Amino acid sequence: MARILFAWELGGELGHAMADNALAAVLRTRGHRIAFAFRELKPLGYLDDCAAHDVFQAPVSLTEGKDAGTPFTFADLLSGCGYDRVGHVAGLLGGWLALLERWRPDMVVCDFAPTALIAARALGIRRASYGNGFSIPPRITPIPPFRFDEAIGAARIEASEARTLANANEALARLGAAPLENLAQTFEVDEEFLTTFPELDSYGSRPAAGYWGPGYNIDTGVPAAWPAGSGKRVGVYVRKRIPQLDSLIAALRDQDHRVTAFIPDLEPARAALLASPRRIVSDRPIHLAPLLRECDLFVSHGGSATIGTLLAGVPQLVFPGQYEQYITARRMEQLGVGAWFTPDDDDVAVKMARVLEEPSYAEAARGYARGYAGYSPAEQARRIVKRIEEIVAAPSPWKRSMPGGADAILAPTSQGTKAP
Amino acid sequence: MARVLCAWELGSGLGHIARLLPIARELRSMGHEVVLALRDSAFMDMARSAGFEVLAAPLLRGPAKTNPSPLSLSDVLLNLGYDDARGLHGALRGWQSLLKLVAADVVMADYAPMALVAARIEGTPRITVGSGFALPPAGEPIPALRPWMPADPRVLQALDDRLVSRVRAAANNAPGAPDSAREFFAADAHLLCTFPELDPFGSREGVEYLGPPGRPERGIEVAWQEPGRAHVLAYLKPGAPRVDAVLAALGTLDAEVVVALPGIEPASAHARSNANVRIFAQPVDVPPLMAGASLAVFHAGPGFAAHAIMAGVAMALLPLQLEQFLVAQRVVQAGIGELASPEHAAPDFGEWFSRVMSSASLREAARRSATKHRGHSFAAAARAAAGRIASLAAA
Repeated sequence: MARILFAWELGGELGHAMADNALAAVLRTRGHRIAFAFRELKPLGYLDDCAAHDVFQAPVSLTEGKDAGTPFTFADLLSGCGYDRVGHVAGLLGGWLALLERWRPDMVVCDFAPTALIAARALGIRRASYGNGFSIPPRITPIPPFRFDEAIGAARIEASEARTLANANEALARLGAAPLENLAQTFEVDEEFLTTFPELDSYGSRPAAGYWGPGYNIDTGVPAAWPAGSGKRVGVYVRKRIPQLDSLIAALRDQDHRVTAFIPDLEPARAALLASPRRIVSDRPIHLAPLLRECDLFVSHGGSATIGTLLAGVPQLVFPGQYEQYITARRMEQLGVGAWFTPDDDDVAVKMARVLEEPSYAEAARGYARGYAGYSPAEQARRIVKRIEEIVAAPSPWKRSMPGGADAILAPTSQGTKAP
Repeated sequence: MARVLCAWELGSGLGHIARLLPIARELRSMGHEVVLALRDSAFMDMARSAGFEVLAAPLLRGPAKTNPSPLSLSDVLLNLGYDDARGLHGALRGWQSLLKLVAADVVMADYAPMALVAARIEGTPRITVGSGFALPPAGEPIPALRPWMPADPRVLQALDDRLVSRVRAAANNAPGAPDSAREFFAADAHLLCTFPELDPFGSREGVEYLGPPGRPERGIEVAWQEPGRAHVLAYLKPGAPRVDAVLAALGTLDAEVVVALPGIEPASAHARSNANVRIFAQPVDVPPLMAGASLAVFHAGPGFAAHAIMAGVAMALLPLQLEQFLVAQRVVQAGIGELASPEHAAPDFGEWFSRVMSSASLREAARRSATKHRGHSFAAAARAAAGRIASLAAA
């Protein structure tokens, strides 16, 4: 029996929590003890089988992205999430250290959780990164930019990395831990669970990477069936805050499709507008797998459901809300399997009709899915669990770089902190 | 030895941590183990470098649209994420896990209602600390925040019911989940770290007034330069409405004026200073300046007001939000200051400041109030709070 903590620090929507929960559920049935340290605890309300886990708030910045400018690199992202000030990084790191020291995991599985990776490193705890390409940049110095449609100078990349690294290292010094030689060392792990395919990888081709295949969950959720009738079958899972939500609802109503939709927290008034005997509106995630065999289009914001439905051969319409989702949307376009919207585009009905009617989209989606016909996310999860069990069964290869014991993390640099 | 979890869930700024840290230090020196769960990670290192173990408090996300003028404290909480049972469910589980992780014997909650609910359900003793705003005044339903604006009791009751139903749904109706808003806000003791004259809903029964438990953050040292003149100390928020007019008026006074505008560009502070008025872009060290002041001009923050009270200085108050407005009203009731409501036309600030500064009745009342609180000791207040918390843990 091992103690395994899942850390989710950055990135939005339900995908992270759902991917972590799927893996945790398997580990739990095999007798391991689980904790979640999540940036958002609300998704717990959507997850099954997590009642036995300990759940904690991940330390996060309340001012994420404020005055940070457009991020080009992982260093820029970190800078916008607290790494622009030494005191703030030290606070975030201290929070992770305290949690890890208290809960004492044998291994930390980090889903877009760079500060948790650095804290686990300082404590010599076994760790893995777990996520699609965006959250696991290539281990190159400096870390290359993820933004591919705008040029950025090498000097800017290096300056941003140097600044972020210096702040992280000064924070580590305050906490009495060894510095990082470069930012890429953050991602030095026992295993890198890069859960995507090369054609979908946010960083494009990267040197020496092992792809574990995408994780997505289309096998749990509320059962639903396509309503009877003749229209096209359209699955919908988008965020409520996409700018074109009303146009999307109008297009679905006007074109007389059959629809199954899950839009988290949709207001009752809009839900009533969308719902009809031909359009099912669920307030919980829908069990997608049985629906996908006959699905003509999936409408999403570019998260893991986009990938899961694509691998069932379904064409895509994507409303990306942030850059990672934008990259996924662009990948769909490159593969010829769908179309996407900028926040200002309002031609929802036109693009929806095009993807539904032009056979090339469905053909490309089916073609892409055929290439991975043998792929199973359940098998991916089984292999990841097996690898986690191998790692925790072996002695930790890491040494803690900071003073040991629960008391030692308490401001080793300050005097007189012990109770008399 | 008791294990104390200090919880800060809602609200912003330095005030919460400034209250929690001196009490936490006192608890530690008594031999207790203290862990802090803090809302804002930007302040976590401040507590960690004071030698404390610091964890993240479960966060709620507020609704996309908020009500700009909530009617009661129940309504305030509905605005801060308490209308979302699913979000609350996650936060409640987060607090329950923290209580278990720390094996807390007692919870000290600073504007942390969900930590109180978790402690209720887990049967852990709980105590609140605060400036009074987070604790509603007596009455069922929870009374309106603006007593001068009548609110239909049925509307207030509906807000309470909504809050309680969300919390109960989040708790899956667990035994111990609160049945009423009154129960939701209840604790084994309420420690108000302010003076009764500054309690937005006071003075009242059922609470213990300890006064401020700590000195404010130490700013740069500034001294009065002209002993023979009147001294005006202003502490203002850069960019707040009317601040430019206030600064202009301060320049016309026959007085030596010190203004702290923390966050303003240093060059701008320098450019706007003159022979009468010195403007500082950083926090200034308040107590030595307050000791020689004849007038305090500020937004009615309760911490600064406590210093004015202790020094017996009359106050000209420019509240920006409701909590400050309620504190300002209390100061006016005590006869030790006047307020300029943001909802009324601005007074002639120069004339107003001169009048408040020279008012014999305000000065006399401020002096009486100072005599009452002259013996106040920050350390004693922190010790008293720590003692109450420890005795609760031992009970």
